[in-house]
Amino acid sequence: MSGISTVTMPKWGMEMVEGEIAEWHVSEGDTIAEGDDLLDVETSKIVNTVTAPAGGVVKRLLSAVGELVPVGQVLVVIAAAETSDDEIEKLLAGSVRKAAPAEMADESATPEPQSAPATASASEKPASPAASSAGENTTALSAGPDDSAVAATPVARRVAREQGINLHQVVASGRHGRVTLGDLEAALQSSGRSVPRPYSAARPELRPARDDSAVAATPVARRLARELGINLHDCRSSGRHGRVSKADVEAAASRASIKTTAAKSTAACASSVAESRPLSGMRRTIATRLQTSKREAPHFRVQVDVEVDALLAVRKQLNQQYSEAKVSLNDLLVKASACALAAVPGVNVQFDGDTVQHYADADIAVAVALDEGLITPIVRAANHKGVLAISNEIRDLATRAKVGSLQPEEFQGGTFSISNLGMFGVDRFDAIINSPQGAILAVGAAGERPVVRHGELTVATVMTLTLSCDHRIIDGALAARFLAALRAFLETPATMLA
Amino acid sequence: MKTRYDVMVVGGGPGGYVAAIRASQLGFRTALVERESLGGVCLNWGCIPTKALLHGAEIAHTLRTAGDFGFTVGPTSLDLEVLVGRSRSVAARLSGGIAQLLRKHNVDHIKGEASLAGKCLLSVEDGSGPKTCHADHILLATGARPRQLPGVVVDGERIWGAREAMTPTQVPERLLVIGAGAIGVEFASLYADLGSQVTLVEMASEILPGADEEIAARAHAALTERGLRILTRHALLKLEHQGPDGVSATLAPTGETAPLHVAADRAILAVGVTGNVEGLGLDALGVQVQGGFVVTNDWGHTGVVGLYAIGDVAGPPWLAHKASQEGVQCVEHIAGIGRGQPLQATRIPTCIYSRPQIASVGLTEAQVQAAGRPYRVGRAPLQANGKALAMGEGNGLVKTLFDEVTGELLGAHLIGPEVTELVQGFTVARQLEATENDLLDTVFPHPTLSESMHESVLDALDRAIHH
Repeated sequence: MSGISTVTMPKWGMEMVEGEIAEWHVSEGDTIAEGDDLLDVETSKIVNTVTAPAGGVVKRLLSAVGELVPVGQVLVVIAAAETSDDEIEKLLAGSVRKAAPAEMADESATPEPQSAPATASASEKPASPAASSAGENTTALSAGPDDSAVAATPVARRVAREQGINLHQVVASGRHGRVTLGDLEAALQSSGRSVPRPYSAARPELRPARDDSAVAATPVARRLARELGINLHDCRSSGRHGRVSKADVEAAASRASIKTTAAKSTAACASSVAESRPLSGMRRTIATRLQTSKREAPHFRVQVDVEVDALLAVRKQLNQQYSEAKVSLNDLLVKASACALAAVPGVNVQFDGDTVQHYADADIAVAVALDEGLITPIVRAANHKGVLAISNEIRDLATRAKVGSLQPEEFQGGTFSISNLGMFGVDRFDAIINSPQGAILAVGAAGERPVVRHGELTVATVMTLTLSCDHRIIDGALAARFLAALRAFLETPATMLA
Repeated sequence: MKTRYDVMVVGGGPGGYVAAIRASQLGFRTALVERESLGGVCLNWGCIPTKALLHGAEIAHTLRTAGDFGFTVGPTSLDLEVLVGRSRSVAARLSGGIAQLLRKHNVDHIKGEASLAGKCLLSVEDGSGPKTCHADHILLATGARPRQLPGVVVDGERIWGAREAMTPTQVPERLLVIGAGAIGVEFASLYADLGSQVTLVEMASEILPGADEEIAARAHAALTERGLRILTRHALLKLEHQGPDGVSATLAPTGETAPLHVAADRAILAVGVTGNVEGLGLDALGVQVQGGFVVTNDWGHTGVVGLYAIGDVAGPPWLAHKASQEGVQCVEHIAGIGRGQPLQATRIPTCIYSRPQIASVGLTEAQVQAAGRPYRVGRAPLQANGKALAMGEGNGLVKTLFDEVTGELLGAHLIGPEVTELVQGFTVARQLEATENDLLDTVFPHPTLSESMHESVLDALDRAIHH
């Protein structure tokens, strides 16, 4: 072993192409132990901590707080204290260049953040027998059936989980046949210390929305984008036939770099700027996704007024009867939408520009406002759930959204979205479709309004619903049918029981 | 006053304030409502002020035994007002510290009385008229108070509860303590050291019901040796005023027909606690209350949406550290970051600050026997511990219980000097599910009382070296 390890920007989920350095926990020159926290990385909607794969001295920190770093790029170099600068420079010269293209070449394979640079450095030297067998050993170490029944010390179990090691593969030498930390270290060492993390297995995703291979672009633009680390989704498409041109990529690259130079230029004319800060990971995600949706999906809106007196009565009954839940109008809207999506399945779709995916279950995304943006956790298979279950699930999702403990699979995907601004006193509004979904429902406040019934003027509690649809896949008549179904469920709530 | 929060905590004791700070750390907008002083009973009327008094008692003991170490101490006297005043000022200082902690952690501290006004609704009266606050998650951490006995009036003058026992104006010559649980034994020990003639009355067959019987018997012997009169198997029939400034208790000894009368100057009633469940609006919401305590699941949820109960009000063991841990686990569970298992009663240590001290964690020998599994017992008398002898406190025992098959440390029971500081070693071992061999391989520093822990484990394997 060379004694030098590198830590690269990890890939947490298929959509992740870059991460923002949120905080460094170490400085250059620090002596650290394996497993120590190195830095926090903020990605679309989550902040996670990257830990040290090995102990040693922190030789290089290659990115500053706030910087956006592509997946696979080296962040930290850890080495034995006596390692010379030359050795590190040599390693870096090899690995930084090589990590990125490997990542681009195959989006579907989860790159191994820790092993990729290590392999790169090994390839520059004559490969030692240990290094060449490292890959096999690594796979062997992580394979095997459920190891929860294997006896192990608590510490060993935790390290094994973090390192993706199956305890069946480790020779136990502890008391009562338990796997100890020492056993794990021995197993790790014999495999050259490069153990894959099971990110892809743990966090399945519905679709790689950030895969830009389907974006039309000129060959030069595509290659330049790869070199500059620009996602083609982030580029305008001003070229012929709507293709992204070289100029579009350069513009996107300069937009990205403005962020870093902005600080300098605003310093000169700072008098009028109260505060300038780069977008957080979450805002960046919101910005990118909604911009894409607005640009790609031709939106049209259909609106209905719904009388909700019967629905409110049902809510009251439920809340009086069941102390274990507190059902809101929004919970009932999710239930009714699920029923309507089952009745009009043409709206329960995702569209990636080429293919329309129809879904059997209504996975309804519910917009939750946060201090720093919003997030849309998903009630899965809402069509199979009762109102109380939906209500408590939304309560739990919204609570965890506030503290950032949602798992990616809990807010990624979904077949339909609901955004409710009624509690803020908004009467009606339009929402932007949460691509690749086909439609989003915008819900206004319920209030008493005059209605005409059988020629008589009377008062009812009315709520305005606005459905935004992607006209590429949902036509006006279909949208109207969906809203009619939704209104029927809401105005005669008993039909939701059918 | 703001009226919308993510988490509201009712009660500012060690359960409530810790839960509130944890909630705020996690990013919840959090408020804590407390009607009295922050810190709850623990800090204001329990653990902390009694420890201040007990330290005074210890000094009294040290002064008495100073001759053993060659010191000649002249006549000493106790200014009780100073001792009690010191105890109160320690409590006040810590309570102020909690207000500061809440500010630092961005928890809104509402001084007032709260009751449930509906699901996720709390009516808060802070002196400016009731306001309704909304919180998605409400934690009840209202604690507990001393249980009363029918027919016994705690008047605060002659018949004391814990509060009066903590703020005496004079040391009673003859003191009667009803109830020999942790609190009763601590007060009995404290007042005996301060010079009272103490009679300790317990209905059960041994003092400290629930403790390991061998340890309880040793405590019994040690207290008797100190001159306390202990009456076990005696039920209290009557406790009333007698004469111009005294009390009289009528006791029923088990198995005897003739009642026993005990006269004293003061009596302390310490017969357990009951949860503060009244006036919270629990009935209207359908919260289950059993035997004076709120029923919850393992994570503190009451079954009513968004409503949780932690600490003393949620049932035994009534310990500050249990309340804190329950509060943290409840909040983390709400936040979806709860790790592993809920709190297990057999991993919570218990400490009693009598002289000698008593501490334990895990199952008692009787419980292990009842479970019917083969086990090993280790005993290390402190007579064989150099540090204990040097301190002149050789009277003590470290007892360990191991599962013979798995080697798991099932329980540890200690009596002797500073054992409340030792028990944590065994608590860590239990939490990590350590075996006797892990403890054998652990190096204990010399010369310390903790060596007796090692010796006890050795003894369990019939390998004792020093005794």
